[in-house]
Amino acid sequence: MNAITIDGLTVDLDRVRILHAVSCAVSPGGWLALIGPNGAGKTTLLRAVAGLLPYRGAIVLDGADLGALRGRGRARLIAYVPQIPVLPPDLTVQEYVLLGRTPHLGYLGSPGRTDQQRAAEASQRLDVARFAGRRLASLSGGERQRVVLARALAQDPRVLLLDEPTSQLDIGHQQQVLELVDDLRRSRGVTVVSTLHDLTQASQYAGHLVLLSDGRVQAAGPPPAVLTQDLIARVYAARVTVTADPAGHPVVTPQRPPPAPPATSAPPGAS
Amino acid sequence: MIRTRGGRLRPAWAYGVAVAFLAAATLVSALVGAADLNPLDTVAALVHLPSGLDQLDRAVLFQIRLPRIVVGMMVGGLLSVAGAGYQGVFRNPLVDSGMLGASSGAGLGATLAIVYLGSAGPAAVPVAAFAGSLAGVAIAYLSGAVGGSGTATLLLAGVAVGLFLTAVQTYILQRSAQDLQQVYSWLLGSLSGATWQQAAEILPYAAVSVTVVLLHGRHLDVLSVGDEEARALGLHPGRVRLVVVAACALAAASAVAVSGLIGFVGIVVPHVVRRLAGPSYRLVLPLSLLAGAGFLVLADTLARTVVSPAELPIGVVTALIGSPVFIWILRSTAAVRT
Amino acid sequence: MTPLAGKLAAVIAVAATAALAGCASAAPSATPSATSTSSPATRSPAAAAGSQFPVTLTAANGPVTIKARPARIVSLAPTATEDLYAVGAGPQVVAVDQDSDYPATAPMTKLSGLTPNLEAIAKYQPDLVISYQNANGLVSGLTKLGIPVLIEPAAATLDDAYAQIDQIGRATGHLAQAQRTVSSMKAQIAGYVRRAGSSHPDLTYYWELTANPYYSVTSSTFIGQIVGLFGLKNIANAADKASDGGYPELSEEYIVKAQPQIIFLADNQAADGGQSPAVVAKRPGWSAIPAVKNHEVIGLNDDIASRWGPRLPQLVAEIAQAVERASG
Repeated sequence: MNAITIDGLTVDLDRVRILHAVSCAVSPGGWLALIGPNGAGKTTLLRAVAGLLPYRGAIVLDGADLGALRGRGRARLIAYVPQIPVLPPDLTVQEYVLLGRTPHLGYLGSPGRTDQQRAAEASQRLDVARFAGRRLASLSGGERQRVVLARALAQDPRVLLLDEPTSQLDIGHQQQVLELVDDLRRSRGVTVVSTLHDLTQASQYAGHLVLLSDGRVQAAGPPPAVLTQDLIARVYAARVTVTADPAGHPVVTPQRPPPAPPATSAPPGAS
Repeated sequence: MIRTRGGRLRPAWAYGVAVAFLAAATLVSALVGAADLNPLDTVAALVHLPSGLDQLDRAVLFQIRLPRIVVGMMVGGLLSVAGAGYQGVFRNPLVDSGMLGASSGAGLGATLAIVYLGSAGPAAVPVAAFAGSLAGVAIAYLSGAVGGSGTATLLLAGVAVGLFLTAVQTYILQRSAQDLQQVYSWLLGSLSGATWQQAAEILPYAAVSVTVVLLHGRHLDVLSVGDEEARALGLHPGRVRLVVVAACALAAASAVAVSGLIGFVGIVVPHVVRRLAGPSYRLVLPLSLLAGAGFLVLADTLARTVVSPAELPIGVVTALIGSPVFIWILRSTAAVRT
Repeated sequence: MTPLAGKLAAVIAVAATAALAGCASAAPSATPSATSTSSPATRSPAAAAGSQFPVTLTAANGPVTIKARPARIVSLAPTATEDLYAVGAGPQVVAVDQDSDYPATAPMTKLSGLTPNLEAIAKYQPDLVISYQNANGLVSGLTKLGIPVLIEPAAATLDDAYAQIDQIGRATGHLAQAQRTVSSMKAQIAGYVRRAGSSHPDLTYYWELTANPYYSVTSSTFIGQIVGLFGLKNIANAADKASDGGYPELSEEYIVKAQPQIIFLADNQAADGGQSPAVVAKRPGWSAIPAVKNHEVIGLNDDIASRWGPRLPQLVAEIAQAVERASG
């Protein structure tokens, strides 16, 4: 059974149709990567699943229609990490991660010992526990990314929605974060849906790719099926070659167009 | 031990400092005044020990000075909590308890009472100011709380409503210039004439509003990551905003009803508290309550002793103290925020 | 507080009282203090003949009982101060407010009737306080301290002014002298009116309270009634609207077009605006006014013109003088 099934998802924003009856699915504990050109609707799709947008169609999680869930109920199942999260500069890491426990508290409740524990565990897992007392503004980009993930993890979600989790990081931190997410997925069975703009990264980590363009699904399937030269050329208008790495994951290499023919008059000094 | 590594006061110490400040301000205020009561006798009378105060002095202490201190505490606490609450709701440090038309609504209510109710005017002013304050916030909220549009629209609506109500008030005053002095002296804010009865009258509103705001400290912390992420965490930002705005409006209206318009308390106190104890509203709200109470009692003490027997309008004192403090805060937080 | 501010405050107090009288259409035109000019029925029945205390009086703040002859009186109103000294209660006065500048022997302090400070008043341990308005919870505050307080607001009519002097006489144990003062005032005023004549329908006047903006008084006001004793016509009457309460703001054009024959300046002293006759004559366009052409611009004693106390005959005398000159 699929963990998440998206069926005929249609989203209109400002009277413009962003998503046209998009359907896809991901198995429990799997990693679905949404790829596609800018403006394809990837972020919109994530936000719809997170319940932040009105939509038409069905989003089913473990057999239950998410449309019936609101607020805290939804937040207990789904953790959403936006591309540029808001990090109040004077909040400490500990306070920030603890915010992730919000869905598990009653309206007038406050964090109890369990909540503190879970938050501490999440911080440990993401290796940010040693920053617990530091202000968010004093952290580096990579540390901040991990802190945000820790908050998402503290929510104890079944599904993790990540919008471009690596776009602000250098290559080393990118790998670090992606490895962490993969580890979470495998050890806790969390289902991951993320947007990734680096196609090779998407092929290395995600088991299932969905290629979106103009709000429609152009291709869906395991990476080798989706990451083909022709498809990429058509959808991205980019020249690439696709090879495979030792593990069999497609590696997408951009190809520069051949240089333009030389001008008819020789440059001065040339023979 | 007292401070965390981040430079904040630990919560227990922060509470201690706030309570000590309030206690000290109250004691000083009880001991000084135009009637020149003997300090030792005053302290003795306050703790119900035999004292040398004669009957008139005791009446001055218990019927004139003490109610003024208590009302001052309540008003200072209410304005500070309301200001802090609004700052949390709008995620904006420049917001005051008079926002969203609360001050201008109160001013217009008081003006209408003074100008059109003749002899019944002065007695009706507190109720009129209270009602006007709530009406101002209601109009601003209804105009600006367009679903899902966040806080900017609401703030702007508040500014527009505030300006409009002030313009109406000015127009009315222009037509009835003989009431100018009475209205402006109310507008400048004053705690003189404070009575136990006033304290009792605003107590229920104060208790309800403060309780509601304090209970939403955690919610304001969640709101600090923005509407979208707050919703993803299971909060209803619009609903929380409505509840907190309503409670803050009630708190501010109760304060304004007995004391007139006193500015700067709602902005300055929460900021000082934040600098000392960190940005978490679960701390900032109750600490602002305590510190604000102490601050206003202190300001009132200055207001009624510096040019005794005349009194400075308390709004002048809070602004004179508040402005430099405010500028200092702006400069120091700007430096840190790199 | 400068005398100007004090005078403006007094004017505003007068205006407010007049507005009250105007608004409460069903109310009698006299202020409640007028009722105390009546019979000995207002005195407590337990009073023995010759002893005037305890006495219960009805002031603007309701019935007030004074148990014994007050020995420490605090006055927060310049008119009340003048009244107190006129009835012979001077020796019983321990403090007067900062605007009570007459008589000069009154013990002036920094107390204020505009913004009274209860603690400061209590410091003088008064057994009677007199003020002209119940500001800042003065009455309830003093009541809590057990100090009787009389509110004697701005008089709306001459009878009100007499009634206040009478009441202050009763309150301080000087009823006989109070009544003598009142008789004397009445006689003097009657004399001035007789000499100058009480009918001058052809004479118009403009009474200036302030300049820029120009505030005046109508015939319904206290001042207007006094000038009305001489039968003059007031140019401000036509400009009065209900909301002005008898104190309309006039434009310069209106004043010039109305061509008043006499101009009374209640703002001519330096501290009150310095609008002396010389200054008025220089105002552009005002030279066309008969009053200016004929030098009938009179600078009054601003203090007397803004009070309703025992020096009223002086004011009437100045007005009578102007009337006589203008008409003869």
